[in-house]
Amino acid sequence: MKFRDVIDKVFVRQSARAGLMLVIVAAVTLEATSLIQYIFSQKGIREEATRRAESQLEATKLKILNIVDQTETAIHNSVWLAQWALAVPDSLVAVSRRIVETNPIIVGSTVALVPGYDKKHPLYSPYCFRSPGEEKIRVSSLATEEYDYTSQEWFAKPLELGKGYWSEPYIDVGGGDILMTTYSVPVLDAKGRQAAVLTADISLDWLTELVGNVKVYPEAFSMMISRSGQIMVCPAESLVMRATVQQAAENLGDTAAFGDLNRSMLAGQSGSQIIRYRKTTTHVFFAPVEKTGWSMSVMIPDSEIYGSIRRVGRLVVLLQLLGILMLVFILRSFIINQIRYNDLNDRKKVMENELHIARDIQMAMIPKIFPPFPERSDLDMTAEIVPAKEVGGDLYDFYIRDEKLIFCIGDVSGKGIPASLVMAVTRSMFRTISNHENSPAKIVTLMNDAMADVNENSMFVTFFVGILDLNTGQIRYCNAGHNSPVMLTDSKWPLPVEANLPLGVLSGFKYKEQEITIGDDDAIFLYTDGLTEAENSSHELFGESRMYEVLGTRRRSEEHMEAIKAAVREFVGKAPQSDDLTMLFIHYFRRVHLTLENDIKEVAKIAGLMEQIGSERNLDPGLVSSLNLALEEAASNVIMYAYPKDTAGALEIDAFMRKDSLEFVLTDGGKPFDPTAAPEADVTLGVEERGIGGLGIFLVRNIMDSVTYSRADGKNILKLIKKV
Amino acid sequence: MEVFISKKDGVTTVTFEGRLDTPASAEVSEKLAPVAEDASGTIILDCKKLEYISSSGLRIFLTLRKAAASQGGKVIVRSICQDIRTVFMMTGFLNLFQIED
Repeated sequence: MKFRDVIDKVFVRQSARAGLMLVIVAAVTLEATSLIQYIFSQKGIREEATRRAESQLEATKLKILNIVDQTETAIHNSVWLAQWALAVPDSLVAVSRRIVETNPIIVGSTVALVPGYDKKHPLYSPYCFRSPGEEKIRVSSLATEEYDYTSQEWFAKPLELGKGYWSEPYIDVGGGDILMTTYSVPVLDAKGRQAAVLTADISLDWLTELVGNVKVYPEAFSMMISRSGQIMVCPAESLVMRATVQQAAENLGDTAAFGDLNRSMLAGQSGSQIIRYRKTTTHVFFAPVEKTGWSMSVMIPDSEIYGSIRRVGRLVVLLQLLGILMLVFILRSFIINQIRYNDLNDRKKVMENELHIARDIQMAMIPKIFPPFPERSDLDMTAEIVPAKEVGGDLYDFYIRDEKLIFCIGDVSGKGIPASLVMAVTRSMFRTISNHENSPAKIVTLMNDAMADVNENSMFVTFFVGILDLNTGQIRYCNAGHNSPVMLTDSKWPLPVEANLPLGVLSGFKYKEQEITIGDDDAIFLYTDGLTEAENSSHELFGESRMYEVLGTRRRSEEHMEAIKAAVREFVGKAPQSDDLTMLFIHYFRRVHLTLENDIKEVAKIAGLMEQIGSERNLDPGLVSSLNLALEEAASNVIMYAYPKDTAGALEIDAFMRKDSLEFVLTDGGKPFDPTAAPEADVTLGVEERGIGGLGIFLVRNIMDSVTYSRADGKNILKLIKKV
Repeated sequence: MEVFISKKDGVTTVTFEGRLDTPASAEVSEKLAPVAEDASGTIILDCKKLEYISSSGLRIFLTLRKAAASQGGKVIVRSICQDIRTVFMMTGFLNLFQIED
């Protein structure tokens, strides 16, 4: 793992950790903020609820007290009348009647005499009342045996207390099940004795309505209890006047929750309390109604008070959770991307590596060691593929079989790996087929049929196959849609080519073969369109004219190649290479071959060789004779010195005809023998001093322009060059 | 390669016809051995029909020349063609032999 990879991994790990920290910090901050907000809001809402409950309680209490006061005032204002009427008890009924008449809220009234106060009426209590829905005031007597008003609370209590008294609420059975309460005051006679009790009954129907309508919150409810704990007003009507709070609590099975509240309310305190029963929390605000000893309460379920804020809170928490989730999600995908990116980087490296291997394999398929045939002097070849991507679809190939150079160049449509695979297939097909076919057209036809039959991807290959007979210089060739090669003879010209289809396009296509004979020192330059279509940054193409310009005077193939590559490089500049660029340069020198056996008589054959060369090259006979002499001397040397007498052996003589020189290469498999190292004759000496040997090599040196000896692969190689 | 040897008035005339290349030189060398043994007189090497000479041929000439020099004779090379004259020039033989047309 490289340093960068480590950095990447660490970065990912750190960014993951940093991301997690970020999420946690964000979550904590958000939650803390919400919590604080929630606490403050809750406090505010509680205060608001308290304020609302208290003001409702106060308002309701004032309404009640208003009625209470009216009643009390009405009664107190009538006390003097009652006192006055004591003297004539029969007139007491008029007092009651007047009270009922003048006070609509008072439904009944009586003046009940203290027993024994009046001799005539030991018990006397005329009761004036108004039945519900009636205007008429009826009178009845409460001084009955079964009722015994003296034992009634409304009678006994004021006398006992010596002041006005509000009775416990009660259901008026006679008057149509109306909830009633009675205010009663003692009436003193002129002597200050307790003489009677003056009462006023008021209906509490309005109270039920009033208290029942106290709605601080939609789900809130109100209750009113009497001083003894009787439930006066309550949403559960079945409990009204039938149970005390204590009893109701017992019914609910939870006395503990209501105990304190009950005590506080009965003690006439005001305040608030939270009670919990059956998993619900209820806020109870309570206040006493002075004078009557009642206690009023407003019950607000916890959910009612905090419902909205809790809903909002839940929403906020939900939104925050969503936000955090999104944050987590974003971070996750970021980190995953980071990991993927790193992964991708790793994979890219692997792929790059594999592409390198693919390239190596691809390059190993084509001959790429130059000079490719170092032992041959009749060919000077260079070829190169400059792939645009890592691997390309261009190809070339060549090899020698039976003294024929079989060569090809091709360009697979497309680029990259697919093209390179097709290239590999094309190349092996070429090798296989050309190995036993001697006709370029036949080779191309067979390759085309093989490719077109299975060409599912519509890839095609422009292809040129040539077979150069190294003995004659004849080239038979077939062009399958490839660029016309450039002939470099005395001038530069495009090789005429038939308009054949590229390989893989149409199965069964008949490819036409052509033929040309090149002379000594002629060359053929093959290329793919990567050369002519090399683009510079202004999208101009290198073009054929530039190519022809660069291809020029006779040079060694490598020099040609370098010159073209340099020209392309200069032209293209910094623009990326747009296509594979492949070039194949074949420089041909016709070769005449002669094999001599290890017999001195064989050297006579050299004359025939030289005669042939002389006439072919139209050489001066004198030169032919000199060259003959030099060759004969060189050959004789080999036969006489390299091979022991009477051993079989051969001397190969190759004559290469270049435009401006003749090159003779003598190769033998004898013992190492360097004729150039032999002593040379001194031609200045006189007859007596003149040695008999050394003349041969002397002649060779004198006739030839260059004489070089080398030994390779167990062979002596003597190269003689003569400029012509 | 043909070699004719004729002797007349103490002058030995050797007429070469054809190419005196290395294989031929071996035969010619044998044939001329008697001439070298008796080289006190004048030896004319008639090269009118000699087309070619190799270094081994030159060695035959030189052998004769050396023999003549040691025996007091002389060697005349007659009618060499241009090609052979070139070789003679190259090898310094022009200075060693008396050349006649």
